[in-house]
Amino acid sequence: MSITLAQGLGLAIFAVLAGLDSWLEVFYIFRPIISCTIAGLILGDLRLGVIAGGLTELAFAGLTPAGGTQPPNPAVCGIMTVVIAHTTNVAPATAIGLSLPFAMLMQYILLMFYSIFSVFMPVMDKAAKEADTKKFSSVPFLIMGIVSIAFFVVIFLSSYAAQAPMAALVKAMPAWLIHGFELAGGALPAVGFAMLLKVLLRVEYVPYLLLGFVVACFINFSNVLPAAVIGIVFAMIEFFRDKKNKKLQEQIDEMKEAGISGGGEEDGI
Amino acid sequence: MASSTQDTDKKLTKHDITMLGLRSAFLQSAFSYERMQAGGWAWSQVPTWKKIFGSDKKALSEAMQDNMEFINTSPPLVSILMGLLTSLEEKRVDRQTIRGLKNGLFGPMAGIGDAIYWFTLMPIVGGISASFASKGNILGPIIFFIVYIGIFLCRIPFAHLGYNLGVKAIDVIQDNSEIIARVATIMGLTVIGALISSYVSLSLKVKIGTVSLQKDFLDKVFPNILPLAFTFFLYWLLKKKVSPIVLIGVVFVLCILCSFLGIM
Repeated sequence: MSITLAQGLGLAIFAVLAGLDSWLEVFYIFRPIISCTIAGLILGDLRLGVIAGGLTELAFAGLTPAGGTQPPNPAVCGIMTVVIAHTTNVAPATAIGLSLPFAMLMQYILLMFYSIFSVFMPVMDKAAKEADTKKFSSVPFLIMGIVSIAFFVVIFLSSYAAQAPMAALVKAMPAWLIHGFELAGGALPAVGFAMLLKVLLRVEYVPYLLLGFVVACFINFSNVLPAAVIGIVFAMIEFFRDKKNKKLQEQIDEMKEAGISGGGEEDGI
Repeated sequence: MASSTQDTDKKLTKHDITMLGLRSAFLQSAFSYERMQAGGWAWSQVPTWKKIFGSDKKALSEAMQDNMEFINTSPPLVSILMGLLTSLEEKRVDRQTIRGLKNGLFGPMAGIGDAIYWFTLMPIVGGISASFASKGNILGPIIFFIVYIGIFLCRIPFAHLGYNLGVKAIDVIQDNSEIIARVATIMGLTVIGALISSYVSLSLKVKIGTVSLQKDFLDKVFPNILPLAFTFFLYWLLKKKVSPIVLIGVVFVLCILCSFLGIM
């Protein structure tokens, strides 16, 4: 199915909202589960949007900006997954792989912005020196304006204006390539998880990681809640043990001090 | 100095603190690599400072300049820090003290915030709502949206919390920061372990004679061993300082190659 001008504009306007949200990280409507759903709503296929949202959210599960690197933009990936699935009738799982180039493009634009916007900081410094609050606030507004325009243009072009060449591209693709994208959709979360592990994992935490893994392997349940509850159990056990250890440590320190001042050696045990 | 007289003049109302909590949403509005969140951090607090300093342009200018220094902290928790520092600004505490507290606290708060919000809440909320959504259930996105609106609204009580606890809050956080971070990490990693098994999917199509390598061998040894091994392989590569962007590219190419050769 093709996309009308009104739908293209609607998607682009939503892209501005979701894009700004991904810039500010406030309402999290930039996450695929929301951006796919809204894109589906705009295209009149809510069910497709919801399903694609679930699948894309899973694919993005481990990809967080917290590790310091910017992952492919989830807002753009979400919107384009639904657009591609809607216009070319490929399965949502395949569409995720096909939408990744667009999400990478947005990511590169944002990386460029992060560097370029450094030049605005001296302007804010000068305004701060003069206590000129109006000039001071013009910089954040300008920056958010530039970000909005970028998201509008990227989504409008790739969903509406360049829709036909895109569809042709997908049709021209051989089956092995599409299957390859599908595989990538299943394998890419591993990159995200590896990034999380790089930040979080220390040897003492490996048991918990394996525990969660084994639990999810053998408990046939549709979500990770059982593993989360087991995680809470261990977190609580550790929490109370830490507290107790801290108290014991303090007592030991006190006794040591008392022992040193008392000078008695026999109560050292 | 004149601090004893300043002590009694309370210029901010509860409403002002609520507004500060809401405005903390603009923390990343002027993000750049050079100073990260500094511009947005300062900008969200300008209206509060205007109220505190009134016509004292010099004090306002000093506050603005101090807060243009590098800062990078956790967005959902930032209003605690803003509230805390605002209570000190209102009492006209020495500039160096405020600055020192800001610099001492934003880092640990970033760590705690990332552990709680990105590594614990996001996998749990995202995982649960995605498992609904992938079956076409609209409840998935709705749950996700409601939870995150709740997280956003928490910025208001957080701002009040920071403001009210004033200097005391620092003791509480500093006393428990290690335990908080540890416990959050344990929970996060248990969930990540579960997510690796349910989200990463890799299975081989290769057959040796009539024996399918995946169905007759790997699945019998340990299901999902391949995703776990693959994740650890990528983890090892990251430790070897391979960039994540390169890894994404490599995974992409590998998958397409495996598909072409019929391995997977």
